[in-house]
Amino acid sequence: MYEGVQMSLRLRLMLPLVVVFSASVGYPLLHAFYLSLTNYKITSRGDTKIVWLQQYIATLQDPNYWSSLRVTAVFVILAVFIEFWLGLFVALALQKQRKIKDLTRSFLLAPMFVTPIAIGLMFRFILNQQLGVIPTFLAKFGLAYDFFGPGKALFTIVLIDVWQWTPFMVLLLLAGLEGLSKSPFEAAKIDGASALFTFRKITLPMLMPVISVAILIRSLDAMKIFEYVFAITRGGPAIETMTIQYYTYQTGIQFYRLGLASAMSYLMLIIVMIIAVILFRRVEATRKNQ
Amino acid sequence: MSTNHLFRARLTWTNLGNGLLVLMGLSVVLPFFWLILGSFKTGAQLNDPTLLLFNPTLENWNEIFRSGVLESTWRSAMVAFITVIFSIIIGSMGAYAISRYRSGGNVARFSILAAQVLPPAVLVFPFLEISYQLRLNDTVFAVLVPHLSFVLPVVTWFLIGFFDAVPREVEEQALVDGLSRIQALRKVVIPQVSPGIGAAAIFGFVLSWNDLFYALILAPGNSATLPVKIASFNTFRGVELGAMCAAILVAVVPVLFMSFFIQKRLVRGISGGAIKY
Repeated sequence: MYEGVQMSLRLRLMLPLVVVFSASVGYPLLHAFYLSLTNYKITSRGDTKIVWLQQYIATLQDPNYWSSLRVTAVFVILAVFIEFWLGLFVALALQKQRKIKDLTRSFLLAPMFVTPIAIGLMFRFILNQQLGVIPTFLAKFGLAYDFFGPGKALFTIVLIDVWQWTPFMVLLLLAGLEGLSKSPFEAAKIDGASALFTFRKITLPMLMPVISVAILIRSLDAMKIFEYVFAITRGGPAIETMTIQYYTYQTGIQFYRLGLASAMSYLMLIIVMIIAVILFRRVEATRKNQ
Repeated sequence: MSTNHLFRARLTWTNLGNGLLVLMGLSVVLPFFWLILGSFKTGAQLNDPTLLLFNPTLENWNEIFRSGVLESTWRSAMVAFITVIFSIIIGSMGAYAISRYRSGGNVARFSILAAQVLPPAVLVFPFLEISYQLRLNDTVFAVLVPHLSFVLPVVTWFLIGFFDAVPREVEEQALVDGLSRIQALRKVVIPQVSPGIGAAAIFGFVLSWNDLFYALILAPGNSATLPVKIASFNTFRGVELGAMCAAILVAVVPVLFMSFFIQKRLVRGISGGAIKY
């Protein structure tokens, strides 16, 4: 009897979540799969036919799709790499800080709460060749650098991402650092270990579980990059900054090909899930090794 | 010799670290400073980016009231508020069940985690098609359900972490003391996780408030939310830089203010309890 009452409470607690989750995530996910098997176009909804895997084949044969995968991969790897190392050093510096601690932290973390489109537009004008503060400033020293020029735009987008998301790394890594037990550090100090040695042999290994969680979350999030590209380059120069999310947006919204765009996004979903599972396993492995 | 010694900065790790903090601080503050200046400059003054002292104008701020930024702000706030209310109610019930009874087991936890890494491009096209069929495209309703699709998993994930942190014994003691399950939940568990619920609510609000992708595709015109409105300054009649700066400040200031209260709890929430703080 008691068991029955408890079961119904569990069910009543879970039911709304299951229903809303299925309706807002599960159903669209299935619907997207259906769309990816059709030739659906917004402009000609009447003659939608099921074409099975044709859209997938078209996607895989599209050199621009592969290029956008490459662009996204380069972006994610560069951005997360810089954000991690910069974030780690900032976290170490913050950990040592004694005065006006909370205020500094609040300020340094601010960028991660700002809507990315605002940051994209802001930097578009700060770095603009004619109107921008930074190019104008550089010009006074006789330097000319076109931040959004060929061969440079993608790296500039990376730097904007670094500006916005290094704080996120700082937040997680600082929490990790402050959670470490003090005794190994005291022992190292007594043994007269150098700061560099302590960092490499004690801090880094002990911080590993937090580092892997931080990199996992940040990498998966960075793959969704859209706003900076939308605000600044729209994929250009040529297709140098055409990321996967922007390319899919363009195909679906500007060219009305929802079927093709759905196939593109489903392929992306498979890639994201594979990477998520690989990284997730590594996170679990480092956690168990602790 | 002795004064020389006083002024010679020693190169230590601490000094390097403080130097790094100062650089980071400047790089964070200066762009915001640029925004504030820009929002008080006239078009001609904006052409000179190095201009620091000038006669401030309120023209840009008047312009954003005329161009519907206020309505967009209101719309964004409504969407975020409704999304968060639903997410908190539904999410906290589910999170409690998942945390205490292992409801749904690994499938539940994994689905909630996976939903957070879903590329938004996967879900947006079905949402678009459905909103066309229901003739809800370009209304706030078209944005609500898509926002639930990412705010609900994040909020639930947050709350699982916070419920996991409440010791089981506390609740069992309450049951021994004669409280019913529901009473124990209301009087013992909820008060302990309420800071977590607050943090989850604020974080969910920020996520919805900041979203461009769904809002841009599902309500690009008459029902533009604030991020979409900000983006529209970029293309509509060339660039209205001053008004854009003012609109960005409207979007940024409330969120920064709210974020100050939740920074510490964010860590536990984002990592689902994996990182304690």
